[in-house]
Amino acid sequence: MLRRFVQVGARELRRTQSTAAAPEKWDLYAGVLVERLPVVSKSLNPLEKQFQDMLWRVEYENSLKSDHELKHEREIVQAELIKKGKVQVDLEDSGAKQTAQDLKDAYVEELKKFQLGSRTTPDDQANKTSSTDRCLEQTLYLLVQQKLGQQQHLLLPQGKRQEGETMRQTAERVLREHCGQELHVLFYGNAPVGFHKYKYPANQRTESTGAKVFFYRASLRSGQVAAEKQQPKFEWLPKEALNGKLSNAAYAESVNKFLL
Amino acid sequence: MSLLGAFARLGLQRCGGAAGAAVARCLHTTPVLCAEPLKKKKKLDPQIVKQREDRKKKKIEKQIRRLEKNARQLKPVEELEVPLELIDEKEKRQRKLTPLGSAELEERALLKKQWAHYKHDERVADFQIVDRLIQAQNKALAELRRESEELYQAAIEVDPQLLPVAVKGPVATPPIKNYASPDGDYLHQSMKWEVK
Repeated sequence: MLRRFVQVGARELRRTQSTAAAPEKWDLYAGVLVERLPVVSKSLNPLEKQFQDMLWRVEYENSLKSDHELKHEREIVQAELIKKGKVQVDLEDSGAKQTAQDLKDAYVEELKKFQLGSRTTPDDQANKTSSTDRCLEQTLYLLVQQKLGQQQHLLLPQGKRQEGETMRQTAERVLREHCGQELHVLFYGNAPVGFHKYKYPANQRTESTGAKVFFYRASLRSGQVAAEKQQPKFEWLPKEALNGKLSNAAYAESVNKFLL
Repeated sequence: MSLLGAFARLGLQRCGGAAGAAVARCLHTTPVLCAEPLKKKKKLDPQIVKQREDRKKKKIEKQIRRLEKNARQLKPVEELEVPLELIDEKEKRQRKLTPLGSAELEERALLKKQWAHYKHDERVADFQIVDRLIQAQNKALAELRRESEELYQAAIEVDPQLLPVAVKGPVATPPIKNYASPDGDYLHQSMKWEVK
């Protein structure tokens, strides 16, 4: 009984403490997740490849012969007849005529001449992380080096909200400040997609306890991060590499919650 | 007037020939004028007019009825119809392949099952991703609301700039830079329709 009383008392005490510290002030930050969407389709994995081959075979089996194939067959029969000498060869006619096989060869030749665009780029080989022209199969995310406290961190571009701004406006301004005017992006709506909060070091908690970051998603439409702003490093990274670069585990966890 | 004239003529005949001739000399007739007043518009009987209109109406109504009756019947789309030559030459065009062995069939069935499992897993994973994204967004919105109701209201507003949306999907091979597409021959393939 007595023990229980003590427990209740202790709980009361704790509650009063927490209410006393309740009007904590947090700084509001907007962060922007800029993604470069995949340019080319994903390469097929073995099972997908196998299944596609099967579908193509079934398609072939169910198909009817085309005019071209019929013509080819007819010509084979004709050629055999001529060989056996059963049919007179019309010399004038046969010289000018293009057989189906000739046509097919010509088409194949033409196709061979055409060079398809490569699914890997020079930037892939050079591992140039500042370029968006790489990892075409994957979504790339923009990380920008920023100073938090004393240290430099690679983070999603973020910045503090100013008075009178909505979070979306802050996000747009922050992106412009970090990446210049050349980067054209499309923001996905007014609502934030993710959230992260961290406390400032104890000696810096003068006005506010910490920062609450609201992340916005935007997709890259055109343009590039401005060249003169390259002093602070920036990188375009796919998801796995991004996780390797984020040094803070809690931040990485928050970011991963809204990555695709 | 004509009656009067007739009586006069009768009277003259009774009076005798000499007197009649004298009277006749005094008669003047106006020369024939080769003109006549403008023809008056024919006044149609209003009933006839009505009848005609009725007839016209009936005719149109009949046409409408006929069209409505056939409304259920769809017009044939030439592009969608199986060409007659394909139907006629079906025997000739069928591929004569050796029927599949039981091993091959078994393999295909197995592959299909595997595929179904694979797609199912993929779908479940997709749903999980969507759930995760929604959860993250809800959390962010809740946190924002806790900070400021005003900002929250601004955040949940609809963004009209998002529509209409244009998306260029992923392609099999990336576009070749600075590629000048060759001018091909243009074959005008669309049908010409004649009004009968």
